[in-house]
Amino acid sequence: MLSWIQHRWTALWLLFAAYGSLFLFMYGFFPLKYHSGKISHMDDLPNFINSVSIDGHEVYNSGENSVILMVIDGLRYDFATEEYMPFTGQLLKNKSACIYVSVAEPPTVTMPRIKSPERKKEKAQWRRTINFWRDIFAMMTGSVSTFADVALNFGAPAVRGDSVLRAAKSRGRRAVMYGDDTWLRLFPGMWNDSDGTTSFFVTDYTEVDNNVTRHLDKVLAPDENKKPSFDFLVLHYLGLDHIGHLEGARSAKIKPKLLEMDDVVKKIYTGMRTWHRSGILIICGDHGMRDAGGHGGASAAEVLVPLVVVKSDNFVCPHPSGPGPTVAQVDVAPTIAWLLNAPIPGDSTGRILPSLMPSDVQQHLYLLHVLAAHNAQQSPPADTEFFQQFKRAEVQFAHFLTTGQQSAAKIAKEFYDESLEDLAKYHTETTTDFDLFAIGIAIFMLYILTGALLCVTLFSFQQDPQRNTSVVRQHRSQASTIVAFAVIFFLVSTTLLISCFISETKSRFCSFNPFWTICFIAASLGIAAAYFIIKAAIERTKDLSALRELNAIDYLLIIGTLFHAWSFFGTSFIEEEHMTWYFFWNTLMFFVLVRTIVVVVMYFTKKWSGATEFQDKLDLENRMSSVGVSIVPQWVLLIALHRYLRTMNQTGDRWLFLPDTADWLNAPENSFYLEAHLVIGTVLTLGVCLWNVRHMNNFMQIHSALTVAATGCVFLYRIATSALQTRYTFLKSYDPVNIVDVFWGILTFQVLFELAIYVGMFAQCGLKPKFAYTKPKAKSEDHFYDEMDEPWNIEEVKLSLATSLSHIMYNDLMLIIVLLMRPHNVIMVPSVYFTCVLTSKCLDHKLLDSRSRRTEVVDVMSQALVHLWIGVLFYFYQGNSNSLASVDLGSGYVGLREYSEFPVALRMGLHAYAGPALAGARLFCALAAAPAASWTQYLQSVWRVINIFALQRVYQLVVYCVIATIFRHHLFVWTVFSPKLLYDFVATVFSIQALSTIGNIILITHMTSWLARLVTYKTTL
Amino acid sequence: MFSLNNNLELRRVTITSLLTCIYLPSIVTVISYKGLLYSVGNASSVYILVLIFVAELLKSFYLNSGNECQVKKKSRNRASDIMKSIVFLFGVVFCFFIAIILFGAPVLEQHDGTLLLSSLLTLLTVFPLIAHTGVESAMQLLFGVKTFSRDTIIAMLVNNALMTVCGAWLGAVVIPLDWNTPWQQWPIPCYLGAVGGYLLSNVLTVTKVTLLSASNKYPALNFFVNVINRLHISK
Repeated sequence: MLSWIQHRWTALWLLFAAYGSLFLFMYGFFPLKYHSGKISHMDDLPNFINSVSIDGHEVYNSGENSVILMVIDGLRYDFATEEYMPFTGQLLKNKSACIYVSVAEPPTVTMPRIKSPERKKEKAQWRRTINFWRDIFAMMTGSVSTFADVALNFGAPAVRGDSVLRAAKSRGRRAVMYGDDTWLRLFPGMWNDSDGTTSFFVTDYTEVDNNVTRHLDKVLAPDENKKPSFDFLVLHYLGLDHIGHLEGARSAKIKPKLLEMDDVVKKIYTGMRTWHRSGILIICGDHGMRDAGGHGGASAAEVLVPLVVVKSDNFVCPHPSGPGPTVAQVDVAPTIAWLLNAPIPGDSTGRILPSLMPSDVQQHLYLLHVLAAHNAQQSPPADTEFFQQFKRAEVQFAHFLTTGQQSAAKIAKEFYDESLEDLAKYHTETTTDFDLFAIGIAIFMLYILTGALLCVTLFSFQQDPQRNTSVVRQHRSQASTIVAFAVIFFLVSTTLLISCFISETKSRFCSFNPFWTICFIAASLGIAAAYFIIKAAIERTKDLSALRELNAIDYLLIIGTLFHAWSFFGTSFIEEEHMTWYFFWNTLMFFVLVRTIVVVVMYFTKKWSGATEFQDKLDLENRMSSVGVSIVPQWVLLIALHRYLRTMNQTGDRWLFLPDTADWLNAPENSFYLEAHLVIGTVLTLGVCLWNVRHMNNFMQIHSALTVAATGCVFLYRIATSALQTRYTFLKSYDPVNIVDVFWGILTFQVLFELAIYVGMFAQCGLKPKFAYTKPKAKSEDHFYDEMDEPWNIEEVKLSLATSLSHIMYNDLMLIIVLLMRPHNVIMVPSVYFTCVLTSKCLDHKLLDSRSRRTEVVDVMSQALVHLWIGVLFYFYQGNSNSLASVDLGSGYVGLREYSEFPVALRMGLHAYAGPALAGARLFCALAAAPAASWTQYLQSVWRVINIFALQRVYQLVVYCVIATIFRHHLFVWTVFSPKLLYDFVATVFSIQALSTIGNIILITHMTSWLARLVTYKTTL
Repeated sequence: MFSLNNNLELRRVTITSLLTCIYLPSIVTVISYKGLLYSVGNASSVYILVLIFVAELLKSFYLNSGNECQVKKKSRNRASDIMKSIVFLFGVVFCFFIAIILFGAPVLEQHDGTLLLSSLLTLLTVFPLIAHTGVESAMQLLFGVKTFSRDTIIAMLVNNALMTVCGAWLGAVVIPLDWNTPWQQWPIPCYLGAVGGYLLSNVLTVTKVTLLSASNKYPALNFFVNVINRLHISK
């Protein structure tokens, strides 16, 4: 096991294992319900009840109906009374209408604050879409949506599965929609006529409703056959909700608005009476509102909404007057589908509203049978009680069909109702239950892995781990190690197995079908391996004296990183995570500022007062030589730069609506400044790239030319997408996709070219390298060509290859991100570079501490942590947040003609995580290019940095998983906790990706040198 | 760092700290009873600064009163000294102003609030130092060129300054929280944080002196003295 902790990539494997456990956690946490996407047909209607034949189409037929669904946004239960809506109250009183208590789904996303500027319109619209998503989804498809539905439908909020609208359309029904345009986006192409109003301007509460009502007269007017021109009409009124947002539920404007709604009901009712077909009006709210206005919680006032059913002819409400029975929002879907004589949507789990059930016994029973059969199909277990009940009901129904006994019908009805009741209960259980066993196992694994990573990290912090371990090395044979591992593995899996059975969990993790058995074994393998790593590391970590050199800034970095993970116990710390980071970063900058000022002032006073001791002065000169006196003004400028960048994008939740610099820049009259930002950002990036080129082989010519060409492509792309104005209009006509293709070509060529040089350099031993325009790496070559007897300086060449590859990676990354960024954010790319460079200079322990001896370990640690911080900082500067609404979808389509999942996801990910990627890449460049670094030193610092990165990632994961589990019943679990979990998941994927890239660079280095050695040996022989 | 060697200094330190513990809470209590606590960010609250200024000045007179020789030496160019101090103080206020804006205060509006905060910080941190030692040595002390390990009074003043800045810094934590309270407005939390930090530092000083004298009788109390010594940030 010793080799494991010494292995350089142990941390990466542990991170992989953590990723696996995160998967397990997410499986347990997100109650995944698979929407089968099944499309229903009329032919699905059963024609045999327990082998008694019945004409399904005939019995199912509900006659000719027109259904009007009137959704009044924010209509809460106490509004649907005679006091507020006299006409509706009257209808309810004389039993020509029925009222139900409907329970709305708590919303997923809260409404953004009002008065958002124009640019945030898209974002806010998107949030609102998700907000509606669940309510409308439930009403139209008849199934409760889960968080996974929202997340998986990312970017394309249209409903893909079956819905009432699809079923109605397939039966040739005409659907019409007036109101909020979210409906149009959720169900595109399903409408015969529509007029969508945008719901964005909350301050407007008259116009939005007038836009809906103005169509009423026309659409309600019957044609020559005394029939309306539609079969299904959706009216969505937003005004009430807007008033609620503006002034609260006690506002004086509420009453006139409700009267207006009441008039609409009256108009529809009188309109329906003139038709020669029955009209059904369903009035409901999609959610309620708090007294203070607004909604977004799960309090009774927000969740309980009225559902009023009005029928134009021969209708008497069967329920006693009063608040009415409770129904679910999903019941709307099968009701409307049946009324429209369309099949019940495939994923529906609702029932038909009891007051609309036909009085004809046979039809009534048949409908119950259809619903029960339909709902039972979606729950796999066939041995449950409700399934048995359903079977019994079927027998009784068949009995009734053959004999016509009323008692059998009565029993059948009772059985059907019971089984439907249980089915509904079962469905809600399966959608909201967390798999706590899987969650527990996942958290335990993450915990163990964090421990292992911590041990590995501490082990790597020893000054010279190899030497120390060689002393304690004990002779253990290979076989005994394997046996020990097998024993531990056996113990772990047995413990898991026993806990499976003791807890009597229903978790799939313990179901032992082939797939889950593999997971089970993998989990116990991971735990056993982690145990051995911890054991070995604890035994062998002896000398942590390097950590004695920690100074105040290091402590700030460590404590800040540790504390940040725990801050997520407050929801507002998740929503406003950027504030935490800004505060930490400001504190760090303040500390560094004070210390640099102190150092510089001391330097001057000692110099001018003619330093008392010669030794003292020399020491000072040494410390100052690396940075110079200009460090203080530079640092102040950096603080100013960060102050500016912080204003660039408002993010988070609470102040999202405040105008920011990006809004100002994007205003058309300020386009000059926007272009200035774009050009300055790109040119500075070019400058940084050219400066980095010095680390590459063959620097002045080819690489510079390639870099300039790539930057040219970026500029051409900006011109072609008219982010940049130019006098030469022909440039505009270039195709952006072709430009981006050329750009990719250049970058790929650059990498291959560099590799070719390194191989070719060896291959043409004795000859001038083919591409050597200047003398590349003169030192390393001389060694080679002249002194073949000398030991090879492979290590030096490897280091320079790793350096140049890291820099190429960094340059390419910068250029790609410049290409992907929004114009106003391009400035971030060079800013990351300057921040990193200046900060690493200032955090140098030699500068800050008067007497430190061996600082390389603490230096590496503080560098790693500070680069992590910088990455996160720029992540938020760029406008990202922990809400799904802040993902920039536009960046995914740069240089693509059509949607294809993988490239789009990759681009979006790189764009979102640009800050961390750039900061990390710059850190690895700095490690490779460190002055006086040797290959082994480089490998060692890479090892330490990777350990720290992995540890930080997994530590955050485990803490957050614990928090999410504790708050799994919290009100904001969908709004705040789950999106953050998704973000953490993506961040883990990208950390794995980033660390493997570094691994690849080292791998390529080894391979190249191996290849070169092969070639060289051949040529010399 | 405190010791019982110099009883006179120690008594002065204790009395000034006690005075601070009395006058600052009374100011805060009075304005909060008047309902003006949340208006400390407005220009109308300059009188608080004036009060603090007068109190600090009186305290420094008291602190300096013993050193007869120092007073004599200084009296020669007293006027120029005062002028220099005033210019320096304004410079410090300006530096604070810029620094606060750089660290996140609103750039374009609420300059009066920021200015008030920076004046308060100057009054509580740099002003007592200057009043006690003069401009030159204050600068040297601030930048750590001169050490103050022997001087109880200066040690107290530097500690006060550090705690004040920490208080103001930590005060900013509450601003982004979503409690929607009236005091989460810029610069009220920082302002009150600075006052609180200053107060806390003085309370700690008094406690420590009390414990020190008590620990002569009860050695067990030394533990608490050490704890407080740790709390006081020393350079």
